[in-house]
Amino acid sequence: MSDANENPQLNHHAKGKRPKFYDDEASDQLMSMVMVLASELNVMRDRIDAQERVAKQHGIDLAGGIEALELDDNALEEREAWRQGFMSRLFYLARKEAEEAQIGETKEKYNNTIDEIAQP
Amino acid sequence: MLNCFQQGHHDMLPKTTHDEASRQEFAKSLRGFIQHSTLPGLQPIYEKRVVPKFKRDNGHEPKGRQDIRRAMVKNSYFQLYASSNRIAQELLWESTVMSVERQLPALIERAKELSAQTEAKLVIPSDFVPPKYVSAIDIHCMPGGYCTEVTDADVSAGVVYDRGVYLYTMGYTGPDNDDMGRSVCNFLKRNNPDFKPRRILDMGCTVGHSTLPYRDAFPEAEIWGIDVGGGCVRYAHARGVALGREVNFAQMNAEETTFEDGYFDLVVSHILLHETSGKAMPKIFKESERLLSPGGLMIHADLPPFDLMDPFTQFILDNETWYNNEPFWGAMRDLDQIKLAEEAGFPRESVRFDNAPMAIMETTEGSKGYSDQSKEAVADREFTAGEFAPGGGWEVLIAQKPLIKQEEA
Repeated sequence: MSDANENPQLNHHAKGKRPKFYDDEASDQLMSMVMVLASELNVMRDRIDAQERVAKQHGIDLAGGIEALELDDNALEEREAWRQGFMSRLFYLARKEAEEAQIGETKEKYNNTIDEIAQP
Repeated sequence: MLNCFQQGHHDMLPKTTHDEASRQEFAKSLRGFIQHSTLPGLQPIYEKRVVPKFKRDNGHEPKGRQDIRRAMVKNSYFQLYASSNRIAQELLWESTVMSVERQLPALIERAKELSAQTEAKLVIPSDFVPPKYVSAIDIHCMPGGYCTEVTDADVSAGVVYDRGVYLYTMGYTGPDNDDMGRSVCNFLKRNNPDFKPRRILDMGCTVGHSTLPYRDAFPEAEIWGIDVGGGCVRYAHARGVALGREVNFAQMNAEETTFEDGYFDLVVSHILLHETSGKAMPKIFKESERLLSPGGLMIHADLPPFDLMDPFTQFILDNETWYNNEPFWGAMRDLDQIKLAEEAGFPRESVRFDNAPMAIMETTEGSKGYSDQSKEAVADREFTAGEFAPGGGWEVLIAQKPLIKQEEA
């Protein structure tokens, strides 16, 4: 497995002004956060389920081991790095909006594109 | 019936960690949930709440899809539907992009190894300029679109598309995303059993997912897939080898290819036209006509025109224009495609719309999640406008070049 940090970076934003769906723009932000959280909750649920199933195949009492676990510095660091990545995904819309402001994406530009490329 | 369809394996697909797979499954499940649980509620919301309010405010019923849209965007149920559908799309791409980014160098190497194993051609000109209709906006919100290359010999656009489109279609186009190609091949075999094309061109082939079925259907034919995305055709070429179906690919614009007049007996495209433009579409029809040999067939499988459906259905489908970076989606459906084909040189009587029934029932043997029960549920279910997969078939525009071209009077 190669180290992701050294890999070429792909685009994570789609070019084109993102529409607003709610009267209050904050609701659009919140809705996105809620759904990302739901996605990660689903990951955790799947992972716990997988752990329990694998452990069971090997006759291991996982629940007891989890309760007895103590985290060392390395484990704490790994968890922090994971959380930072998670928060980066959680604040996706803010990043998208800043980029749109930076490069000048507007609704007018999007509408103009529709009109322009529909021209025979 | 739960949709637990899984993408078929081939050596060019990225591997997913447990968590990446889980994020991707969530995005796919969310799309499915929105389609079967939220989308159907739009009709009663419209009829029972939005229309009465519109009549009180305006003194008449909403007249066309534009009126419907203006009224619906203020409704909270619609806002929830449309925003969660958009977010599902964003989650789908992000969960795919992060997985591809992690293993890109290895994927590029694998593509080189696979492509080196075949005699099939891969043509990528150094001076290719993508048309504006794919570079102005990233179509269907795929970050980077079809044409972005972030490094040498990049295949990321192709990998992201292959995995992302499977999640987008929720597996309804089969484990290899190839239902459209298979459906058109079946359609040809059934309706033109004696047709044996010597050379076949698939325009706007992306990763060749619809191209490869033609290899099976016409094993003797010389087959070319062309696309404006260099990373797409590079990936398509390697993917074809990985799937044991070697096909020639080239980075080329369907408006103006480099093939000679009359080179092909069959020119096809699959959901290409709605991602082009009002200027490009007539050129693509003209180019198809130029490339066909006498008696050859042009078949474009894409969206049915708006005049075949009621205004509410038009409104639902047109949401893609406004919320999914599909700028030509609506305008394309308003065009008279039969007239365009005629203007491109096809005789009026040879041009028609038809329906190619979905091949999914016969193409999913041995793939995870595709039980007989789940396949039947897909084939037999009630179709709600706005769902990804059409009820039972794909819309195809067909035209035939005359055996002897009529001289102008």
